[in-house]
Amino acid sequence: MRTRPTARVLQYVAVVCYLVFLGFPLLWLISSSLKSPQEFASITPTILPKNVDFSNYSDALSEQGLVRGLMNSLQISIASTILVLIVSLPVSYALARFRSRLRPITNGWILVSQVFPVILIVIPLFMILRPLHLTNTIPGVVIVYMVWSMPFALWMLQGYVAAVPRELEEAASVDGAGRLRTIVSIVMPLLRPGLIATAMFTFISAWNEFFFALVLLQDPDLKTLPLVLARFVGAEGQVQFGPLAAASVLATVPSLVFFAFLQRRLTSGLLSGAVKG
Amino acid sequence: MKKVMTALLAASALVTLAACGGNSDDNGSGGSGSSTEKVTLKFQSLAFQKTTVAATKKIVADWNAANPNIQVEYVQGSWDSVHDQLVTQFQGGTAPDIIHDESADITGFINQGYLADLSPYLSQETKDAVSQGVWDTVSSDGKVYAAPTLLQSYVVFANTALLKQAGITATGDSLSWDDLAADAKKLTANGKYGLGWGLKSPTATVLNLGMNFDGQFFEGSGRDAKAKIGDAELAVPKRIHDMAYTDKSIDPTSLTQSGSDVLPGFYAGKYAMVVGGNYAAQQILEEAPKGFQWEVLPPLKGTSSKQAANPQTLSVPAEGKHIEQAAKFIDYYMKAENLAAVGQGDWLIPTTQAARDAILKATGGKNGWQQTLVSGNELTKAPFQSVENYPKWKDQIATPALQEYLANKTDLATLGKKLNDGWGQVNS
Amino acid sequence: MTATVTAPPEAPIRKTGRPKQNREAIFLFLPALLPVLLLSVYPLIRGIALGFTDARAGLRVDTNFIGFGNFSRLLHNGLFWDSFRIGIIWTLSVTILQFVAALGLALLLNTNIKFRGVARTLALIPWAMPPVVVAIMWRLLLHPTNGPVNEILQKLHLTDHPINFLGDFSTALPAVIVVGIWVGMPMTTVTLLAGLQGIDRSLYEAAAVDGASAWSQFWNITLPQLRTVIVAITSLDMIWNFNSFGLVYVLTAGGPGGKTMLPMLFAYNEAFRYGNFGMAAAMGDVMVVIIILFLAFYLRNRLRSEA
Repeated sequence: MRTRPTARVLQYVAVVCYLVFLGFPLLWLISSSLKSPQEFASITPTILPKNVDFSNYSDALSEQGLVRGLMNSLQISIASTILVLIVSLPVSYALARFRSRLRPITNGWILVSQVFPVILIVIPLFMILRPLHLTNTIPGVVIVYMVWSMPFALWMLQGYVAAVPRELEEAASVDGAGRLRTIVSIVMPLLRPGLIATAMFTFISAWNEFFFALVLLQDPDLKTLPLVLARFVGAEGQVQFGPLAAASVLATVPSLVFFAFLQRRLTSGLLSGAVKG
Repeated sequence: MKKVMTALLAASALVTLAACGGNSDDNGSGGSGSSTEKVTLKFQSLAFQKTTVAATKKIVADWNAANPNIQVEYVQGSWDSVHDQLVTQFQGGTAPDIIHDESADITGFINQGYLADLSPYLSQETKDAVSQGVWDTVSSDGKVYAAPTLLQSYVVFANTALLKQAGITATGDSLSWDDLAADAKKLTANGKYGLGWGLKSPTATVLNLGMNFDGQFFEGSGRDAKAKIGDAELAVPKRIHDMAYTDKSIDPTSLTQSGSDVLPGFYAGKYAMVVGGNYAAQQILEEAPKGFQWEVLPPLKGTSSKQAANPQTLSVPAEGKHIEQAAKFIDYYMKAENLAAVGQGDWLIPTTQAARDAILKATGGKNGWQQTLVSGNELTKAPFQSVENYPKWKDQIATPALQEYLANKTDLATLGKKLNDGWGQVNS
Repeated sequence: MTATVTAPPEAPIRKTGRPKQNREAIFLFLPALLPVLLLSVYPLIRGIALGFTDARAGLRVDTNFIGFGNFSRLLHNGLFWDSFRIGIIWTLSVTILQFVAALGLALLLNTNIKFRGVARTLALIPWAMPPVVVAIMWRLLLHPTNGPVNEILQKLHLTDHPINFLGDFSTALPAVIVVGIWVGMPMTTVTLLAGLQGIDRSLYEAAAVDGASAWSQFWNITLPQLRTVIVAITSLDMIWNFNSFGLVYVLTAGGPGGKTMLPMLFAYNEAFRYGNFGMAAAMGDVMVVIIILFLAFYLRNRLRSEA
């Protein structure tokens, strides 16, 4: 497409606006995390800290709950991601390949599970998990996350499975391979990008999740990072913003690292999956 | 066939699930309650200032060293979410053995039957150390549901240099509201305000300070309580409103902020005075720039200097397995030196005279401690503390209505009507 | 993600294999079945039913079936309907503005402009941040005494006194909406971008030969081609926004004066502050009905105009 010079300029102006809108908040957060308490309390803020001060980070890290929250969040996110993949892969394979009666039922459930407000689910969920001694435990939260990120995982994976040429499987079954072996040895390798994108999505939604954790986890030792951070906000507005900003930066790092690793694969993976689906 | 399979699978999975989660909450099991057996108690503390957390942890450590059979585990909670948290904890049977909260917040739990009557367990020493008026704030029908620990009063902090500049000396036993208004007016000039007042959550402040003018807000108790809103009850909001919008001596923006959000303006001289809970002193000490001089003015006085006593509390769940042992720890916590340590850390007033004396001795009454401790004598029980639906009224009715009035969006008559009619709505 | 919209490709019909396929499908479904039934389907049904009871917190309290009791009390609960009104304003504003902003960004990212890589990475960042962190970050940005937004506004003389965006009655909801837009940008942008990249290039080439302007290309090719993607992502955004909780819980907790009290927050408080579980579930039931009606209306119109 040819673009006229004025349009070009407008495009760049727009890009800059977007960059500021999307990037400035993060920049400010990072800069705030590097300011000393005195500089923080100053009423004339500067964009960059006058003296870079890492005491907020050491404060935040010395806060025991925070490190533990980090570990809890990692554990929960990784465990639920793995479980989701294990459980969703066969289902999405079946959804994409077979015309069984389970397909409309599953797709209906996927839709319904998105529509329902969690408040409606969380109370009965609490009542179900309690006699199983799973409230206030990490395994309890993991299986809840697994079930509740499945709809999205199924959505994504279904598209990817459908994109795998059926001929390959048929060739394998002619060779006498069973269904399970076909899935494992033929379909799975081709699904790599799809599995990665799905894993990424599940990890991040577990990492970010707040509501279920808020209700299901009461023991401070078990709290996930978002809960610990929300607690930092403190009583009657007794907010210690410096350490809070530092902790917030730390809470963003794992997902960012994940991104950095998978950035290229993610965008291309996400895009191709979505389009082919 | 399919059904049978599904049922079988469901059953087996249930068993496995139950097995992996079995070790969740009852680690001190046995539950015979005899004191020779080793038990571990969870103590959920809401201390949040570094100094208080340290003091509380020290109390726990000292206790653990002396009582190998009753070990206490410190667990950190938060004031912001304590109520929601306790609702889920009670509901899930995971409530800590020793619960830190405040008197106005536990009324609902008492009525729901969640808290144990401590009167058979607490020692006579503890009972004698606290005045009856304060015990009343945690009792119902002759049963005692908590031990009151620390009291908060609202005080005026002032920038000493700015007071001097304006030629204001605030000494004496009390500071009348008229004087406060006059001083604030005098200190307002050149874009600076006499007073910054973080009233983002105005209800507690208005109801506590309302006692200055004998504001009752409620008659009766429990579910039958009736709202009572008259001139006395509306005196405090009206005076704040006048200062903000007639005298223009309170920064209206500060009224929408939290207590600690206005402190940077206080350090910078933007506000000559701020009103806040006395615990703010600790934050001022930690954050204020070097050389910043501040003081605590004498207690505010309307028709009296009374404020509502809404003590912090220690309670034990009724379903707890170790009520007797928990009460022993509470007895220990209530000892003068311990209460003095946490009180000093938080700049709050201990409920026992012995602990107050200890703080006075340790600090020499400096940094406003003299005034802070004196204000403790004027704290009494207020009716709102024994009203079951007070928290709901506070959140849904009083806070929005007061915020609206303090933002100059409604008039006093409307405020009164809203507070009054709103009670009918939430208490139905 | 658009897999929802475009139905999965039909399996070739092999009539003879039908029963065997069903059995195999069930086998593949098994690992997922129990957790889903136990932790999703059952709680959903229980949750709906709970709205018809007087379940509440308390030691050894009985729960009774009370029919439509909760709902008739809700009818007279002005605060609940207020929160609904706020919820609808929030949902529509965030969804629509977010869609417009994300479409603009996606169009830019789909050109050969410089900084595309940076912009694409930045566009994903809000997604990498827990909503709680986003809320904390924006509280810093909008802080009345030491936040940069007020500082800039004052420097530009757009205001003479600092505004407490999240604490002022008139600005709280708009401020929260801006944060809502920010946080949802990645999902919407990536989806729209995927849609854009799926459009057949030759359509544009043909239009260019006919001398169609950029605007008319956008109007006559891009938008119609994107229709299914747009319908899908806006419906999802709408549902997610209506049900959102964590962000506003930390930003304002519903304040000031209930001006940002979204229905989810209101129901949460009813359950976990005041202990009225039955009533809270009834509120959830009403929310479900409203969302379904809303979606039915939206999708019906959309799909009809598409047909």
